[in-house]
Amino acid sequence: MKWVHKILVIASIAFFLNGCVKKEILDDINLIEAIGFDYAGDGNTSGTILYPIYQPDQPPENKTLTAKALIKKSILQDIQLQAANPIVTGSMEAVLFAKELATKEGVLELIDAFQRDPGVGSGLYLAVVDGEARELMDGNYGVRGNATFISNLLENNIENEDLPKTNLQKFLFSYYQEGQTPFMPQLKKISDEKIELNGVCFFKHGKVVETISSDQMFFFRLLVDKYSNGLHRVKIKDGEAAVRSIRSTHNFDLSKRSPLEITVKIKVQGIVNEYTGNEVKPEQIKQLENAFGEEIKKQSQELVDIFKEQKIDPVGFGHFVKTRKRKYDLSKWLESDLKNLTVKVVPDVTITEAGVIE
Amino acid sequence: MSVSIPENKKISPFLVFFVVQKMQFGIGILGFQRIIAKTAGYDAWISIILAGIAVHIVLWALFKMLETVNGDMISIHTFVFGKIVSKIFGLFFILYYLLLTVTVIRTYVEIVQVWMFTDLTTFWFSLIFLIVVVYIIFGGFRTVTGMAFFGIVLPFYVLALFLFTLPYAEFDNLLPILDHSISDILLGSKNMSLTVLGFESLLIFYPFIKDQKKSKKWAHLAVFSTTMIYVYLAILTFAYFPENQLQKNIWPTLTMWKIIMMPFVERFEYIGIANWCLIILPNASIALWCSSRIAKRLFSIKQRTTVPILAFICLIATSLLFTRKQVNLLSDLVGQIGFYLNFFYFPLLLVATLIAKKVKKNEVGS
Repeated sequence: MKWVHKILVIASIAFFLNGCVKKEILDDINLIEAIGFDYAGDGNTSGTILYPIYQPDQPPENKTLTAKALIKKSILQDIQLQAANPIVTGSMEAVLFAKELATKEGVLELIDAFQRDPGVGSGLYLAVVDGEARELMDGNYGVRGNATFISNLLENNIENEDLPKTNLQKFLFSYYQEGQTPFMPQLKKISDEKIELNGVCFFKHGKVVETISSDQMFFFRLLVDKYSNGLHRVKIKDGEAAVRSIRSTHNFDLSKRSPLEITVKIKVQGIVNEYTGNEVKPEQIKQLENAFGEEIKKQSQELVDIFKEQKIDPVGFGHFVKTRKRKYDLSKWLESDLKNLTVKVVPDVTITEAGVIE
Repeated sequence: MSVSIPENKKISPFLVFFVVQKMQFGIGILGFQRIIAKTAGYDAWISIILAGIAVHIVLWALFKMLETVNGDMISIHTFVFGKIVSKIFGLFFILYYLLLTVTVIRTYVEIVQVWMFTDLTTFWFSLIFLIVVVYIIFGGFRTVTGMAFFGIVLPFYVLALFLFTLPYAEFDNLLPILDHSISDILLGSKNMSLTVLGFESLLIFYPFIKDQKKSKKWAHLAVFSTTMIYVYLAILTFAYFPENQLQKNIWPTLTMWKIIMMPFVERFEYIGIANWCLIILPNASIALWCSSRIAKRLFSIKQRTTVPILAFICLIATSLLFTRKQVNLLSDLVGQIGFYLNFFYFPLLLVATLIAKKVKKNEVGS
């Protein structure tokens, strides 16, 4: 091709492509960072969006907008009526559901929108709010904006503490998996500057049916996550110790086929963080290990009993059975078969270190 | 009978690897997991391996035919059926490759429209894209091969990115192995046809290979490597999605990228999809080149005249497809045609070729 042709082609490409798609300039859009849904009575749902307004040399200002609607999908449009710039969902970090809404109406219809939207990442955090979502979002937490605070709070608790791995993908995974039901962490606003992670909510058909406290969360995590960590307090007669589990693994085994029995081997490797007694001798360590093991056994059994009573299966025992038994029919799993399942927990606790003090 | 191509327009035998692999690896890979899991469930990775073996056999058949007549597809047809019938078949193949080009471009545009820019017009994008394709083809088959080379080497890192799903992978999903009947698994293999087709373009570019005997192993290696890539991706997908969720996602391969989070880029799919353009560019180029090459063999028209005309036809056809349903219909159609062509017609053609050879030999002998 002659050079004239080349220039012509390049010029025309540049010309044509310019007008092809809509532009979105960062300063002229409202980037939603979190969205919260509340129950508004009579089948109505109200939605609140949170977006930051960035200012020079200052923490971002948290701005919220709220609208009420009967059809859940139209909440965003209704909010749009109050916003000066188009609302964009691309950098959403957290979605919050008020507990009342999650118990009465369910969350599935609302989650569908996030699953469908190609702009929303699967790493999005979902959480239930003990109280009103709007109220929680109106606070002022930390210097990086509320949404970042919430997502960092959850992330930190997953990485270092007791909260089992959770996000949109995890929720959808357990929702769609046959023989498993989903769960979400629960947040509570304590004051205008504080939020607390105070438990885990279990869902059945998209509605909250049961909540466990943050103390039980540690044991739930041992059951549900392949690898977990966290901190737990153990009492023995000489004193009390805080044992941090460094690396815990679990292993499922279908030990009996009929009636079904699953043996869960939980291996905990921990260190002693704090001890109120006088000395940590091998003897005390042994005692701690045993006491911890007993507690794991007892608490996990309690959790399993809760699951059976509520006919939920957040751990996915049903799916596990299906992978070990050919052509296993899971259609009656939650209603009847789960009840007849025996779960045997076999803990194996090793305490490796007790800090720098002997 | 044999077709002579000047030495300076031929390609080295190892480059066959890139052309064959490139033709297979393109659009199908974005959504094949769902289609094969429909019947075979999570045993579908076995279907992929079976489909791969079938492709190896067909590839062997193709080479056998090509060696017998020492030419390309048109020579085979002329050898077996005579001149007039071979022209009719040739016309069909022109259409087939046009359809392939349209499918590749339209599917890609659809993805851009759904994932990135809702208001992108199919026409303008296809126009620009086809201008590039025509420009590549004007450079001759060697340039097309070069593009195929870059289309594999440059975006190769994309494959590693699927490992981001590993923290969420539950490989237990694949158990128990062989929970489905053999017929279900075979049906899954059949549904792979859109994903594996493309290797039959060998029938057209065979005369362009320098040392044809040596190219055999490269072609087989290409098929083997694509099969492995498909198995790799299928296993990661099956571990990442429960079966019911997989059935809800039209492009599971892209949905998997939604989990990637990096501090400097919020949504990775945007980079991935933009990169996919480079992956499909050689696909469209090879398909359109094949189409125009057959036209040249049939009517002795210069490729410089046919390529723009064929590209124009593609442009119109692409712009006329509007909805997901239509696009889906098109890819199903191409998949079906590809299946019967590759796994029924070509083996039969081999038998016919061998018989024709015997008969002709006898005639000469008597």
